[in-house]
Amino acid sequence: MPENLVSFIQVLRSHDVRISPAETLDAMHVATTLGYGDRSLLRDGLGMTLAKTPEEEAIFLQCFERFFDRGLADVSAPDAPDADDATATEDSSDHPGQQDASPLPARADEALALKVAAEDNPELQALMQSELMRALLENDRNALSLAINRAGEATGLQAIQMFTQKGQYTRRMLDAMGEEQIRAAVIALEREQSPALPQLQRYRDLLREQVRDYVDGQYLLHAEGKTRQFMEDVLSKTRLSNIEHTYLHRVHELVRKMAKKLAARHSRKRRQYRRGQLDMARTLRAGIANDGLMFDLHWRRTRRDKPQILAVCDVSGSVAAYAKFLLLFLYSLQDVLPRVRSFAFSSKLGEVSELFEEHPVEKAIELVNWKYGGATDYGTALTDFARLALDDINSNTTVIILGDARNNKGDPRLEIMQSIYQRSRQVIWLNPESRRAWGTGDSEMHRYQSACHFAAECNNLKQLERIVDQLLKSTR
Amino acid sequence: MHTQDFPQLDSVDVIKQGFESFGYICSDKIATAVFLAFQLRKPVLVEGPPGVGKTELAKTTAQLLDTPLIRLQCYEGLDEAKALYEWKYGKQLLYTQVLKEKLGDLLQGTHNLAESVERLHQFGDIFYSEEFLEPRPLLKAMQQEKGAILLIDEVDKSDYEFESLLLEILSDYQVSIPEIGTVKAKSSPMVFLTSNNTRDLSDALKRRCLHLYIPFPTVELEERIVRIRVPEIDQKLRHQLVEFVHSLRQLDLKKLPAISETIDWARSLLLLHADELDEELVRSTLNVLLKFEDDIESTDGELRQLVRGVAED
Repeated sequence: MPENLVSFIQVLRSHDVRISPAETLDAMHVATTLGYGDRSLLRDGLGMTLAKTPEEEAIFLQCFERFFDRGLADVSAPDAPDADDATATEDSSDHPGQQDASPLPARADEALALKVAAEDNPELQALMQSELMRALLENDRNALSLAINRAGEATGLQAIQMFTQKGQYTRRMLDAMGEEQIRAAVIALEREQSPALPQLQRYRDLLREQVRDYVDGQYLLHAEGKTRQFMEDVLSKTRLSNIEHTYLHRVHELVRKMAKKLAARHSRKRRQYRRGQLDMARTLRAGIANDGLMFDLHWRRTRRDKPQILAVCDVSGSVAAYAKFLLLFLYSLQDVLPRVRSFAFSSKLGEVSELFEEHPVEKAIELVNWKYGGATDYGTALTDFARLALDDINSNTTVIILGDARNNKGDPRLEIMQSIYQRSRQVIWLNPESRRAWGTGDSEMHRYQSACHFAAECNNLKQLERIVDQLLKSTR
Repeated sequence: MHTQDFPQLDSVDVIKQGFESFGYICSDKIATAVFLAFQLRKPVLVEGPPGVGKTELAKTTAQLLDTPLIRLQCYEGLDEAKALYEWKYGKQLLYTQVLKEKLGDLLQGTHNLAESVERLHQFGDIFYSEEFLEPRPLLKAMQQEKGAILLIDEVDKSDYEFESLLLEILSDYQVSIPEIGTVKAKSSPMVFLTSNNTRDLSDALKRRCLHLYIPFPTVELEERIVRIRVPEIDQKLRHQLVEFVHSLRQLDLKKLPAISETIDWARSLLLLHADELDEELVRSTLNVLLKFEDDIESTDGELRQLVRGVAED
């Protein structure tokens, strides 16, 4: 059973529930304390150690049902094949898991019809002897679900990753179970136009359905999480400007998720304490000089500075897509980053912080694009920036500039960049172009780079996340 | 606390019955949490909307085990001086005064400075010692000989730094005091933390706890709670009022009525000698259930329908 628990935890992890090894051990303790006898007790107990939020608990319950249902082969008895077979359904629900050995009347007729047909058909005759067909005919749920389980293991169904693989795995499992025998018999009966054909077809369809359901269930259990992770992995490594429009909402989700992760990592609250408690040790020490009289009180206090971030984004056509994600990132981190001011430019530059205060982030980004899009002129933009914000830049300021540094042969006004560089705590330049393209053609990147503490290539979410992480570390 | 000392916690069912005898009706899940907390010696983090009996759970457990309940109410700015320990400054100051006066006697017979310092070193350093230590709730819970129930209430209201302070206590049942050293619990207390989810708690804290979410109870469970808390109330009215509260919880309200409000309401209806819900009665007593004027106004229009829906059952 412990192995079972471990693979259950694997499944939970693939569904984005974070479980540490220590928690795995806790879960083991819980399971040994409670025992495996009472299912709902075990579920409650495991839930308490493994799920940490209501959302995780919902995922946990879902996975628990799916996972441990399969483990108990007797519960997952297949439904009776036909709706009119009501007696069979009732019977099986009365004693789930009990071997339903006596064939029911309706089924007896079918079996008889098949047997009659089998007398002059060798292929059907052989089929009737096979274990699989016997299980089907006798409605032996245990044997059938066991066979399905075994076929699932034999074909390595647990490795299923994409939903497109479902058909393939179903086929392979059917083959492993010996379904081709049924297929051959169906063809033979078709040739003879035997009256028993519909019965046999029904059994074949029933078997296919069972296997398909099983594959569906296993896919949900093992692959759903993996597919999502795979998708996110791919998206976070794709150039942001290349992401198709249909995936944009997924990227937004992803950005939020990353931002949340970063926020959690850096979410120490920043608060200004006016005065802490009495610092007895210091007060005593100060008192020694005054013959032990402690009139000079010392208080513990925490000195905190106020970091501020100025984000300057190029929103001209070529770079707009990246600016959007940077801004989305920064404003998703509002709880952790205390003061973000943002500026947008193409030829002229303006502060857009207000837009973000008044509108939701996505809407604000649209407005910014609409208001400031156009051809780039870094010289004018920097002049504007200096006029607006240079006085506010001090040793607690981080300036992030996002742009391709392609200045259309204009004056780069490097001296402004240098004065920003000297005043600020750090200047970070993010360039969506690859490093090799820097300095080619009208790119002024190499010159601007000399006035930056840190310049980086940044064109996918992974890089963006890493930079923002670093930023958060250095701003505290 | 040792397992064999408390037959009240032998199994989930025993716990449920024990709680019931103290008027606390709970689901299997809650009882399982208490059982596991005791067996695995792990703290329980109780989350859920206000008024579902999170604090009550700790209190009842204390009653059930007949152990002291030590409660720490968290709030913004709570620090170790108020939660863990504090030095008795007044006494420390007196001590220095006394020491100064006695210094002449103590140092009698020494000839030079080196000797005096040597002599001074022979006296124990009691300035920072347990004698001058004022234990606060957390430390107090560690010092109980026979174990205790430690309730850390509304831990989400405290600061992030305070959470880190709790980590050592929650995983090892010990605290470190820089001037003295590590103080281990004499008998590890059973810890309940409650949270209203006003902010996310850190992963480190969550990892150390069993996580128990208490939702609003089902109709059936809530009826049992009302029955045990307000036994005088008529069965029909009890059913109606619980149904009504449940239909209120479906609405978009600022603050949903909790179990404590249901009980208050049942008591008020009892005082008014009501034997059935009707619209007028509900309207005049609605302020027992709903605590915001906005909520009362917004439900006003739907009252007739809600009452009718309940009365028809």
